Amino acid sequence: MFRLEAKKPSLCKSEPLTSERVRATLSVLKGVLTSCYGPSGRLKQLHNGLGGSVRTTSQSSALLANLSVTHPILKILTTSVQNHVSCFSDCGLFTGILCCNLIENVHRMGLTPTTAIKLNKHLLSLCTSYLKSEVCGCRIPVNFSSTQILLCLVRSVLTSKPACMLTRKEIEHISTLILRAFLLTIPENTKDHIILGKSIIVPLKGQRVIDSTVLPGILIEMSEVQLMKILPFKKSDSFKVALFRVSLSGDLSDTGEGTVVVNYGVSLENAVLDQLLNLGRQLVGDHVDLVMCQKVIHPSLKQFLSMHHVTAIDRVGVALMEPLSKMTGTQPIGSLSSISPSSYGSVKDLCTEKFGFKWFFHLIPNEETVCSLLLGNRNDTVWDELKLTCETALHVLQLTIKEPCVLLGGGCTETHLAAYIRHQILHWKTREENNTCKYKTLNKPESILKDGWCTQTELQLTTEAFCSALESLTGSLEHDGGEILTDMKYGHLWSVQADSPSVVHWPDLLSRCGCGLYSSQEELNWSFLRSAQRPFAPQPCLPHEAVGSANNLTLDCFTAKLSGLKVAVETANLILDLSYIIEDKN
Amino acid sequence: MARRGVSRRWHVGLQQLASFAHAGSSLLGPVRSPKFVVDGEGPESVLVSSAARLLERLDLSSAVGQLLREAVRAQTDAYGTGAGTLLSLAGAWSSAAAECLHLGVPVPAIVSGMSEGLATCLEEVVALQVPLHTVCDQTDSTQMPAGPGPVGVGVGPFPQSPLGAGLMPKERGLHGTAPQASATSSFSGTPGKSAALFRPQAAAGTDNDPAQTAPTPRTSLRAAPGCRKPALTHSRHCCRAGGAPGTTGRPGGGLEQRAVTPRAHTCKDLAELAAGLSHGDASSMTLAEAALRLQRRQASVRQGGGAVPLTFDVSRVFTCCLPGLPEAASCVCAGFVTAVSAAGTPVPEDVQNRPLRVVLIEGDLTENYRHLGFNKPARAQTVSESTETLRQDGAEELWADRVLQVLAQFRVHLVLARGSVSERLVARCARSKRLLIGWVDGTVLQAFAEASGAAQVAYVTQVNEDAVGSGVCVAFWSGPAGGAGDGAGSRAIVLQAEGVNLVTAVLASPAAAQLQAKEDGFWACARRLHHALQEQTVFLGGGALEFLCLGHLQVLAEQPATEGDRVRSGGLPIAAAPRPAACPALLRPTVLRGLASGWRQYLSTLARNAAGRSSAFEAETFIQRHVQSAADSGSPSSYVLNEYSRLSGGILSPGHSSHPDGGPRVYDTVTPKVEAWRRALDLVLLVLQTDSEIVTGRGHTQVRPQESEGFLFL
Repeated sequence: MFRLEAKKPSLCKSEPLTSERVRATLSVLKGVLTSCYGPSGRLKQLHNGLGGSVRTTSQSSALLANLSVTHPILKILTTSVQNHVSCFSDCGLFTGILCCNLIENVHRMGLTPTTAIKLNKHLLSLCTSYLKSEVCGCRIPVNFSSTQILLCLVRSVLTSKPACMLTRKEIEHISTLILRAFLLTIPENTKDHIILGKSIIVPLKGQRVIDSTVLPGILIEMSEVQLMKILPFKKSDSFKVALFRVSLSGDLSDTGEGTVVVNYGVSLENAVLDQLLNLGRQLVGDHVDLVMCQKVIHPSLKQFLSMHHVTAIDRVGVALMEPLSKMTGTQPIGSLSSISPSSYGSVKDLCTEKFGFKWFFHLIPNEETVCSLLLGNRNDTVWDELKLTCETALHVLQLTIKEPCVLLGGGCTETHLAAYIRHQILHWKTREENNTCKYKTLNKPESILKDGWCTQTELQLTTEAFCSALESLTGSLEHDGGEILTDMKYGHLWSVQADSPSVVHWPDLLSRCGCGLYSSQEELNWSFLRSAQRPFAPQPCLPHEAVGSANNLTLDCFTAKLSGLKVAVETANLILDLSYIIEDKN
Repeated sequence: MARRGVSRRWHVGLQQLASFAHAGSSLLGPVRSPKFVVDGEGPESVLVSSAARLLERLDLSSAVGQLLREAVRAQTDAYGTGAGTLLSLAGAWSSAAAECLHLGVPVPAIVSGMSEGLATCLEEVVALQVPLHTVCDQTDSTQMPAGPGPVGVGVGPFPQSPLGAGLMPKERGLHGTAPQASATSSFSGTPGKSAALFRPQAAAGTDNDPAQTAPTPRTSLRAAPGCRKPALTHSRHCCRAGGAPGTTGRPGGGLEQRAVTPRAHTCKDLAELAAGLSHGDASSMTLAEAALRLQRRQASVRQGGGAVPLTFDVSRVFTCCLPGLPEAASCVCAGFVTAVSAAGTPVPEDVQNRPLRVVLIEGDLTENYRHLGFNKPARAQTVSESTETLRQDGAEELWADRVLQVLAQFRVHLVLARGSVSERLVARCARSKRLLIGWVDGTVLQAFAEASGAAQVAYVTQVNEDAVGSGVCVAFWSGPAGGAGDGAGSRAIVLQAEGVNLVTAVLASPAAAQLQAKEDGFWACARRLHHALQEQTVFLGGGALEFLCLGHLQVLAEQPATEGDRVRSGGLPIAAAPRPAACPALLRPTVLRGLASGWRQYLSTLARNAAGRSSAFEAETFIQRHVQSAADSGSPSSYVLNEYSRLSGGILSPGHSSHPDGGPRVYDTVTPKVEAWRRALDLVLLVLQTDSEIVTGRGHTQVRPQESEGFLFL
């Protein structure tokens, strides 16, 4: 009997952003993101409440992957941040917070969404073209002949993740390792275009951070007993390698739906084993020295191979297959029938390594583009965080090699950019004072403004909303009641501790700006970021000598930050543009 | 998803951490009070006597509890010791951090201040390192006979007394070992002499001669093969006159001696080192020491009697627990000992005490066992004309026939398997005078493979002449020599082979509940010894380290803020300075005092455990007085070195003021100790910096109303 149930009507909500509940959840999400931001950000313990493992983190990728948000608006936001992070690894929190700030500010100032959206787009293009231009005052070109800037970049990534629990010495050690691992992935003989190798992170959980190290080649973890069985390796200049993707465990391939019927006395297992041994004979005949298998090798085949002095390594795992095939130049073999000689590759040497209580089988390549970063940290939760951080740092370095420049970090780029935009708008205003409602001479050709669809007040308010979104983002770097200041020359960020005396000589209280480029000993004027801003022209074009001398700068990845900015503004625009939410209740 | 905030001033996580740690406070130090953990619903109860075991049993479902358990487990896995220190310090430091928060110190200042404080303390305690480069085994294992057959070093049941515990077992242990010494062939030592005999009554500490702990020249002359640098150390010890009468009475009296003793003196004797590392568990340490000696002797035999470096490979040491036997039956045996019940095996008379040919199986020895990763075809049917042959047990019988055939063909009488063994096969093998032993550890198999020349195989069908080893002997374990193990009967069997690198410590206890604790105690001692010998250095222990840190922090906290670190250096919580950003000078003393209070609490817990509750106050004034004099002396490290005996005596045996020399020295391992501190502080700082918990996977409905307070939903 069929039972038909009437469909429930869809639920339609108009103007979702005006709802009090939506705003409340949005501000909870913003609170979560904001409190994680920066080197002194607070950590979050992610757990299932039932006694499972606990993840302590302040990184957006770990955080958002575990947040299960229910509201569609929040889903849009978290998804676009996650998409950004999956492409660029860095600046996830930046994107999320900026997006929340923009939405909040537009609402607070009572702007009409359509105008705000258009103007936001305009302001975004102003930002991106400035950041990409030569005169940009917060961008530093990367000089690959020295490691200084790259080290600063890596160090900044490590410093901004407090849950790694690294001391200063450990940060130095890990930064150097990451940079070395990255440099090892660059091939020495480049032709037309570079194909970067791969750094594999090998866990040394429970061991000291200072014991972490980088080795060229690939390490496969093994128990001591297993390793003793395959020792000693023979001496040779080069080892011929065969890499199997297919299981050599001797089991039958999946019969699917059908059933295999065998006569009593016929052993399928023996039949497969015979096939395996034939394969072994071919390998021995082809003078293979090392056989590796992603899955399991049958013990009899192993015994056969070791009798013929062929080293057999099984259970390599799927994660290592690609780097192994890349490094040795093998074609992973997917069938048992016959092997074409072109699938074999080679390695330079084999050896064993021991770190702490772990043993590894070490393959040393002929050409070093694959390396292993052995990473230790005291316990699981901080190790997970450190691993994610190292991956981010390696990715950031890769992005930097594509676009060889970096942005000033520590909030200086944001305050500088806000000052620049304010000044651009004001600059235009003073020039056009007598020419109301005709915006044609704005230094960027903006057809939208020409049409006269927005008033000067709207433009001013939207600019204010945009700039204060950037500025309050930098305010989120401060978590302990301190104040944020900006100087009136460079537009950089300066922070001052909570409970500081009110009337002071600023240079005594401040030391260096957020990115560490400028010192307070220069003749500068400061103002509180929260107070009303007087527009000024931030000094463009970084002086080269300043960049050259400073070796402890805080830097951000250019590509990641630029994309974060775009994603934040576009997502905010999308959310502001929503007028209905239609929910299917069935 | 729900999110729960953590109150700013009263950090819940820190409070939880402190309360968890409090539960383990009686398990710290040499004198412990074991606890019974009772299942509230069932009749089960477990006796725990170490912090790591306690945490395994506690219900730590909260996030902080999980992190604590994880930290302790990581420490235990890596070093096998230091879990108690970690737990205690984590608790003390979390209270200290909570106190700092309450005083209004911002979180980054606490984080940086405490990390900096610990870092300077770690630099400071280097002064208390005792190098072991010259340590040698004065009693070089001449007492133990070689050759197959069960041998052992007996250990009596000793009360765990903090005083004199280091030496008593040695003397008792000798009763069991001396009579057998004549069986030794490879060494030319005088049987029955050990360092313990050369320093009788040292533990009693009735005379003040500081040189008594040193090996006398007579001992040094008897240079054993393993002794690399037999040096005469008399003059060095004379310099260490810190405890000499006259100067000990007044605090700060170490000033004039500071120049004379710039470093902790070295430890030269293995027995002294072992006693110092026993931390009150002398009987376990005696076993561990005996295991070390036995291992070295085995290594020396393998190398043809040459000198072997003084190291301790704990991966080749095993334990075998035998409940129901008196404690005196505990001993150390060469080879592998396994309880008969565990093997489930009747041992045929014929296989005993003669070299056997052996096969090593690296999996189960059953008909339907297949190697890991082999998937049985799910849809295979076997058809046959007669139904009889398809019966399951028929198949097993056939398989057993084949196995026996192979064993007979290669004249194999002993099979060791890593996994389970088919009972039917065991019974059939027993009839044909063959022995099958299951559940043998992989390392044991490896050791026998090395010693007997066998190769490990997965299936019996793989056996060929190359895979068969020879020369393995099986015997019943007869208890330690000297009759201490009467009644051992046929409880366990011993497997031995010429040159096998294996030592088993047999642990016996009349109460089965105690065995776990005894096993843990043995491993803790063995791992400590291992780390000490591996690092070639130890710390002066017994509270000296913590004293030094306390004194050092006191000096630091009293230092006026220098011009260099102005107020403004703290104004940069954002990245200009990498973590830890410098702690503001104004707040630093507060934070450092907090850090110091952790060690203070640690020391007073030690003293309280050692002396009972009554003298807790006394202990605290004692600590306070000495910390102040250490700080006043200008150089806390020299003070601690000079006053060492009195300090450690005061902590570990308060009330025994009649021992100005404090009895034997106590040592601590270096990396495990330091790492325990780091882990404890890391845990506290991790919890401190956490401002909210995010509970995943629970919607509005799943959070019960009574606990929904404080939750925010997304």
